Amino acid sequence: MEPRPGDNEPHTPSPSIWPVGFAVGIACILAGLVVSRPAVIVGVLIAVLFGALWARDSMRSASTPPPEEAPPATPAAATADADALELEDGELATFPRNQFLELTTLGLGAVITGVVALPVVGFAVLPAFTGQEHKTVDLGTLDNYPQDEWREVKFRLDPKLGYVTRRTVFVRNNGEGDGGPSFTLISNRCVHLGCPVQASGPREDNQRKIVRQVQGAPLEMTPVLPANFSCPCHGGAYDTEGNRVAGPPVRALDRYKYSIIDGRLHLVEVYSVAEVEGEGKNAKIKAYGPQGPGEHVDGLEGWFYPIQPQDLEQ
Amino acid sequence: MIETRPPRTHPPVPPPSRRKRKLTDKIIQVVMIPLDWLEERSGLVGGTKYFLFRKVPRDTNWFHTLGSATLTAFLVQAGTGVILAFYYRPGPGEAYESIRHITDDVTLGWLVRGMHKWGASVFIILLFLHMARVFIFGAYKYPRELNWVVGFLLLVLGMLQGFTGYLLPWDQTAYWATVVGINLNGTGPVMGPFLAQFLRGGDEISGTTITIFYAMHMLLLPGAIAGLILLHLYLVVRLGVSSPPWSDEAAGRSRAPLPPRGEPGLVRPRARGRFAR
Amino acid sequence: MSRAADLRREDYKQYKEDVQREGKPFYPFAMFHDTVMSLVVVIVIAGLACIWYFTAEDVGPGASKPGWLGVLYEDKADPGTTSFTPRPDWYFYFLFYLLRIFKWPDTVVLGTVGIPTVLLIIGLLLPFLDRRPERHPLRRPVAMVTLIVTAISMGVLTWKGATAPEAGAGSLAEVPKWMQEYNLPANAQPGAEIFAVSGCLNCHTYGGSGSPNLGAPDLTQEGTRNRGIQWQIDHLKCPSCVNPGSPMPPFEKLGEDNLRKIAIFLEASKGG
Repeated sequence: MEPRPGDNEPHTPSPSIWPVGFAVGIACILAGLVVSRPAVIVGVLIAVLFGALWARDSMRSASTPPPEEAPPATPAAATADADALELEDGELATFPRNQFLELTTLGLGAVITGVVALPVVGFAVLPAFTGQEHKTVDLGTLDNYPQDEWREVKFRLDPKLGYVTRRTVFVRNNGEGDGGPSFTLISNRCVHLGCPVQASGPREDNQRKIVRQVQGAPLEMTPVLPANFSCPCHGGAYDTEGNRVAGPPVRALDRYKYSIIDGRLHLVEVYSVAEVEGEGKNAKIKAYGPQGPGEHVDGLEGWFYPIQPQDLEQ
Repeated sequence: MIETRPPRTHPPVPPPSRRKRKLTDKIIQVVMIPLDWLEERSGLVGGTKYFLFRKVPRDTNWFHTLGSATLTAFLVQAGTGVILAFYYRPGPGEAYESIRHITDDVTLGWLVRGMHKWGASVFIILLFLHMARVFIFGAYKYPRELNWVVGFLLLVLGMLQGFTGYLLPWDQTAYWATVVGINLNGTGPVMGPFLAQFLRGGDEISGTTITIFYAMHMLLLPGAIAGLILLHLYLVVRLGVSSPPWSDEAAGRSRAPLPPRGEPGLVRPRARGRFAR
Repeated sequence: MSRAADLRREDYKQYKEDVQREGKPFYPFAMFHDTVMSLVVVIVIAGLACIWYFTAEDVGPGASKPGWLGVLYEDKADPGTTSFTPRPDWYFYFLFYLLRIFKWPDTVVLGTVGIPTVLLIIGLLLPFLDRRPERHPLRRPVAMVTLIVTAISMGVLTWKGATAPEAGAGSLAEVPKWMQEYNLPANAQPGAEIFAVSGCLNCHTYGGSGSPNLGAPDLTQEGTRNRGIQWQIDHLKCPSCVNPGSPMPPFEKLGEDNLRKIAIFLEASKGG
């Protein structure tokens, strides 16, 4: 309610937009002083215009009486409004659109959650399963591997990623087989729970050779004479073809595929083995796709692991 | 249902002398000014007062301190962990060296690292002791079943904290214990290999693995633990602390009338004093 | 079962009334105890940290010398190692030793996920398995027996996990110790060295080293069994031929020369 002039109440001006325009004009002047001259002139014009309007309004309201207030709504009119909405006594008014609003809020909430959560969760989970590239590792020239001798070879799976990709493989040259030299490459990760497997036999550390891999990382080759392979963790033991002979391992040691290009041995990728019959170049290998330690590849327990992450990778 | 023995009351506190009372009143007046301001605008002071001055059973004993001791151990871990995070660098090339740097060069770094390392063991021990205490007192029964479930989840999360934190120094024990631990998870039927792949961040343990474990150890698991601790404490305040079940003064003890006493004799003399009827 | 539910609610109401009437305020009575206990916890943690730091010795890069509470540093992680036996943190020792118990390939999944998962589910759903209102421990025999059995088994498994000997990388370094402690003749040394690196200690124990697995006997006093050099060589070539049912793998590929050296070493091992 407008106070009359001469009231003891503090004078509150009626709401008006002219002060805003005046402030915009002042701001233009200040900005123009810093940025560009023409804006100063525009600002002066705006400020003068709105300032005049503001001043005129203030003076007018100070001298004219305030307008009559509209009479408060009659109780009859209020009841008429309530009847229109069919309310009971004492109930709060509800609105007929509330169902639509409820559904829309929930729906939009679900969309927002999806838009935020799916990429985030996808980012957290999917990279572990996609884009796993397997590089071929150059293991040196064939004359590093005399026939029928074992070498314990330490290499980098991905030299660019450094020391963390260091791995060990036991390599034996089996001589000429059908279609080229035959090699046995046995992984040193135990297939019980992944502990590092040792060659059971003397190792000639003083004959260790260190050469540079093609990509610059060091490649260590040490002659070793394993009677079999054994794991220090729980007493797992494997024969020289990787077959399990004692202890808790659930299958034979994993092997690596290999290829021979230009007289160099290349390690390709790992695969899992149920068992191996025969020896050396005459070995018959029951091969499967790569599986983690402790997972049976065949038999009844093989059904526990029907699908592997590697099957999803393309 | 008449009690035959009146409960012990705490001895009355004598009122302070008049001069002392004036001084203490004045001090309280001054202290209450900011507290009243805060209370009017938030209600927090009232909440804190409720928490502090609520009644607990008269026979709560030292065994009931194991829960708050566990909380203290967790807070020590959180505090030392945050400070370690200032200097630790996750990544296979740097983690080991950053731990050396913390222990050798950073002022009191050895103390923070040592407290974090040993605090983890103390935390786990207290978790188990607290769980055993609750079990023996039967304090997982109605109406505290939800609190037990929350507490058990806290135990599991605490041990996961230990597992993820163990990899971070990136030394031989850390690396190989994690290899075996992840492979253990991998042997679970059907989903095992996928869980192992997710934890590793790929086919092989790599630099990604240590950053995944670091994020879990620093962000995901402490956040979940903090939330569950708040829920756990809220339930304790709301449901009340349970008395030792063997206590004479247990809150909620049954009020069945005592059986009639027989004639005293040589074998069972008349009870006297506290046990008199 | 609404009568049982009503009884429970009655009891709880009685509890609440008792606490209001007879209870003591949390602050300062109970909070004092909490504060003292928390102080003890903090002092213990800081104390352990100090003891650990001041009793260990740092000797440059790599593993440090252990003090009363272990080493300051281990060797940096080597993913291609062939001479390390993994171990978890001590609070996982009970699981770690469980794996040594389940050593048949078909039972591996029981020990890795089977038993721990079952125990987790039972633990989590405990209040729904035990619905009796009785809380006094002496009137809950099943609960108390379960607690004692669980605590003792976890304790024993943890202790066994802690003390389980393992074939370490330093087996070769043990040879001079064996030569001296068991008065082995000089011609036993080559065999001792081959023995130390041929994985024998992954299943057998000798002179306190190694790890007993799969029922392999301790060999410190193998010489007192007087089996003779030839028997040792034949046994090493094909253990299951000489000892039917033996899980020991054949060591024929070491070659006659190496086998003879090992046999000499074993026959000379008469303990000390």
